[in-house]
Formats: sequence, C-alpha cells, structure tokens
Amino acid sequence: MAVKYDHRPELESPVLVASWPGIGNIGIIVVDALRGMLEAEEFAEIEPWGFFHPRRAVISKGVLEHLVFPSSKFYFKKTEPRDVVLFLGEEQPGVGGGTYGEGSKAYRMANLVLDVAEELGCSRVYTSGAAVALTHHTMRPRVWAVPNSPRLISEIRGYDNTALMSGVEGGDGQGNITGLNGLLLGVAKKRGFEAICLMGEIPVYLQGLPLSYPRASRSVLEVLCRSLGIDAPLAQLDESAEEVDRSIDDFYRQIPGEIRTQLDRLKHETYSQPAEPGPITDEEKRRIMADVEMFFTKRGEGI
Amino acid sequence: MSRECPVRISQEPGLSRSSLVVGWSIDPGRLGWRTTGYLNRKLEGQEFAEIEPECFFALSGVAVKDDLARFPASKFCACPQHDLVVFSSDYPEVEWHRFLNSVLDVAVQRCGMTELYIIGAMVSWSAHTDPRQLFTVVNSEHMKEALSGYDLMQDMDYQTPPGERPTLNAFLLWVARMRGIPAASLWVPIPFYLAGTGDAQAQREVLGFLDQRLDLKLDFDDLDEEVRAQNQCLARARSDSAQIDDYIGRLESSLRLSDEESAELVRRIEGLIRQGD
Repeated sequence: MAVKYDHRPELESPVLVASWPGIGNIGIIVVDALRGMLEAEEFAEIEPWGFFHPRRAVISKGVLEHLVFPSSKFYFKKTEPRDVVLFLGEEQPGVGGGTYGEGSKAYRMANLVLDVAEELGCSRVYTSGAAVALTHHTMRPRVWAVPNSPRLISEIRGYDNTALMSGVEGGDGQGNITGLNGLLLGVAKKRGFEAICLMGEIPVYLQGLPLSYPRASRSVLEVLCRSLGIDAPLAQLDESAEEVDRSIDDFYRQIPGEIRTQLDRLKHETYSQPAEPGPITDEEKRRIMADVEMFFTKRGEGI
Repeated sequence: MSRECPVRISQEPGLSRSSLVVGWSIDPGRLGWRTTGYLNRKLEGQEFAEIEPECFFALSGVAVKDDLARFPASKFCACPQHDLVVFSSDYPEVEWHRFLNSVLDVAVQRCGMTELYIIGAMVSWSAHTDPRQLFTVVNSEHMKEALSGYDLMQDMDYQTPPGERPTLNAFLLWVARMRGIPAASLWVPIPFYLAGTGDAQAQREVLGFLDQRLDLKLDFDDLDEEVRAQNQCLARARSDSAQIDDYIGRLESSLRLSDEESAELVRRIEGLIRQGD
C-alpha cells in the first residue's frame, strides 16, 4: 500500500482538500468541481489493490486485459493566493463492503493522504461531506463546519452561511462525522495538521435516495473558495442542481399529503437561534422524523 | 513472504518447479473443492502449509453445514512426483489482495511454482445432457498460446456488469500477472439443478484437462463410474416422472423454465441424488 507519484510538484504553502463519496456525494462533487474549475493536474495515486476489491474485469478474446479498481488520486494547482492540492477517493476502504471507511484500512488510507500533504508542505487540510438536517430542499443549504483545533473556531465564525456544531441540532456541539471525511480530520489532528470538515446540509428525507445533491456542494464550495481566496465560477453546479431539483420535485410529489404538509414546515426551520423556541418545536421535529421514517420503511416494503 | 503473512509451514514440500492448482469451497457444485480433493486423494498429496484464518475471515462464530460445524481452511498439499501443488480454500472474506499474495508467496518461494490453474464453475441453464464445455481466461498471450492445443473455449469477451464485482479468480489471475506468473482460470458450466449437489461430469472435464496439461496420468475409472451413476440417476428421474422429463426436455431444446418450474426441478433432483447418497 503505497503512493505512486507521476511527479512531485513544487508548491508554496498549499492546502489539501480531500473527499470520499458519502450521502448525496456532496463532498466529492465539491472536490471534483474544484478540480475542473482550477484545471488541476493529476500527479499521484494511492495504489488501490490492498484497499479495495476490484470493480470491473475486462476480458478480451479470453485474456484478462484489465482489472479496474476504485481510484484514489491527487491533483494540484499552482494558483494565487495559495497553491491547492486535491484528493478524490472513488470509494471508502473498509470492512465488509460498507459505504463508509472504517478500521485499519481507512486509518492507513488517511495516513497515506496525509503523508502526501506532509511531503508537499500542506499547512491545512479540508474535508467535505454531508450534514443530514431538518431542512427543506427549497432552502439554501447551510454549511456545518467542524475544525480539529480551537484556534480555528473564530475563523469559522466569520464564514458566511456556516454554523459550528453548537449552532445546529441540539445546539450542544456534539455529533459524528462518519467515514473518512471525518476520520481524516482526527488523524490530521494526531499528526499536527489543522483541519476543517465542511458539510453541506441535505434534507433528512433525501438522505436515503440514490441521488447527488449539488445544491449542498455549491454551498460548501462557496465557503471553501472564499476561505481559499479563489474566485471560481459556480454556474456549472447550478445547472446540475436544477436537474436534480426536478427529480426531487417528482419524488416530493409522491410523498403522502399529510407527511408533505409536515415537511413543508421545514421551510421555516432555522438554526440561527437554536436555544430559542423556533417555528417548529422539538416534539414536532420528532414527529416529522417518525413520519419520514415510516414513509421510507413502507416504500422499502413495496407498499 | 508478505507482510505479517500468517502462514504455517508444517514440512518442506520437496518441489522445485511446480504447477499450482487452486480450488475454492463455494463454487457451484463445489467443483473447485471436489477437484482439488480428488487430486490430493489420487496423487497422495501431503499437506505442508496452511494460511491461518485470523486475518482473512470474520471468525464471528462457527458455520454449521450438513449438521457439522465448519471452520475456514486454506491448505496447501504437495504431490512431489508430479511437481504439483494443490491449494484448497474457503473463500476469504476480507483482505483479498493480501490473501492471494500469500498463496503465491508459498507456491513460488517454497515450491518454485511456474504456472497457475484456477478452477471455477458457473451455473448454466442448460440440461445435463449438453456437453460441459471448458472455458478459460488467461492472464497473458503467452499462456493463451500455450493452451491453444487443448479443447478449450478461449476467446471469451466479457466485462463485469454494472453493480457486480469481479470474482476472486479474476483477482488471482491479475495478481499472478503482476508477478509475472502465467495463469489460467478454468470455467465449467454446471446445470443449475446440479449446482447444489455436485456434477461429476463437470469435474471429469476439468480433471481431464489438468491430466493432459500436467501429465498426471490419472486413472479415471472411479470418476467415470460416478458420471455413469449420475446419468443413470437422472435418466431414472426422467422415466419416473413426466414432469421432470418435460422440464429437462425443454432445457434440451434451449427453452427456459419459469422460476417456479426451475425451483421444482432443483428440489426433485436434489432430493433424488441425496437419497442415492
């Protein structure tokens, strides 16, 4: 299990932005969009065979021509005001074929990614993922930010449309970031990197659907670009967001009217003052969650 | 040896330039397991090494099959008179790459392995009266050329369908190629109604090829007798039951059975074969 370099770019105080697939593919859309916007160049790859089962065999005239594995690639861009290193993992390595990375393989991969960051002199690491939230798909998704060091908190408070964990949900600053998008944050802390995970909100009722959620990626990208001082065109994400919006609208219309009425109330949900009574009470939130869960359970049973 | 590779060597195999035959326990009809077992029995294979299961199997308990507790096993046997190594194993659950490298480490470093053959079976919707054509996928043009004189279907084009993953056999072929080891995986179609109980005819086809290729000089009288018994059992089933005869006749005419009919045929045939056992 090693990193294979095409070449080693000379970079000045770069930052690393890394992501793996997760709910709504929010994080990887962020990194992939950034890669496209910056026209970043591939320079290294983590050898996959110790981490993943192959994805595809290609046999031609009886000869095994290719065995295709999930890729884990690094890209870079020399740019102002700071150079950028990107990492895109096509799959999370783990045990038992689950979606989220866990165990020794995930830990090893996190360390390999940080080995590259260290070698290139990265001062900071960003990861990105999804925040499942009691919000409505017509609302602008917020960004939840989790740093790995207290000295980053004041910086995050200055981000637009962004909340710390104490500003969301129960407002107690607790939570979990599942998989490598979270694990990297912890391993970075252990190795002395400052790191921030930026998570775009996805409505709770969309989390189980097999669709990407580029609206949330756009929110994350806005925050990230501002933090990095990059002026990136985000219009292409708007196009894919509009396409996904149409699928979501179709799905939303299939939800029974009574539950949809409950969900419509999420349009009024806000995290800006979590300690004060909002337009939806905690009891109502619990009921919405229960209704949504029951709806999806029934769908799963083919009812 | 691979990093932290938990291989237990019990004796030196006494091989210097060998071929390796690999069979897994979970093929349709347990073809790999039966074939490697047959080779070991007939060629008096001596167990000399084992891959410890702890890194490759969940070991969350013990499986019970046919009333017996089973535990994962991954064993190497040596047949020195024929320069043959036989590896029989349960399908590893995790760490495939490391597991396969461990297999090749033992075979190359302890036995001077130069060629690899992997046994595989696929479920077929054809009748048992159709010939069992042996398919092969190789990992190099060199190996393809080396096998061109045998009665093998060699020109398969295939891509793993979306949503599926390549098999362990494809992975082993690829790992062998990365190490410069010529390898072939062999595939025999097994009629679906024999996939649960075993197919002596399929086993005969694979062993016939290995016998020829590796010059094993096997005496197949016992296996041929098994094939005859299997065919007699199936012929009797057809003559005793118009329904079974109809099902198999339709398969012989390349017609598909419904799911219910297929399940019924499997149930009836498996019942008869197990009764015979």
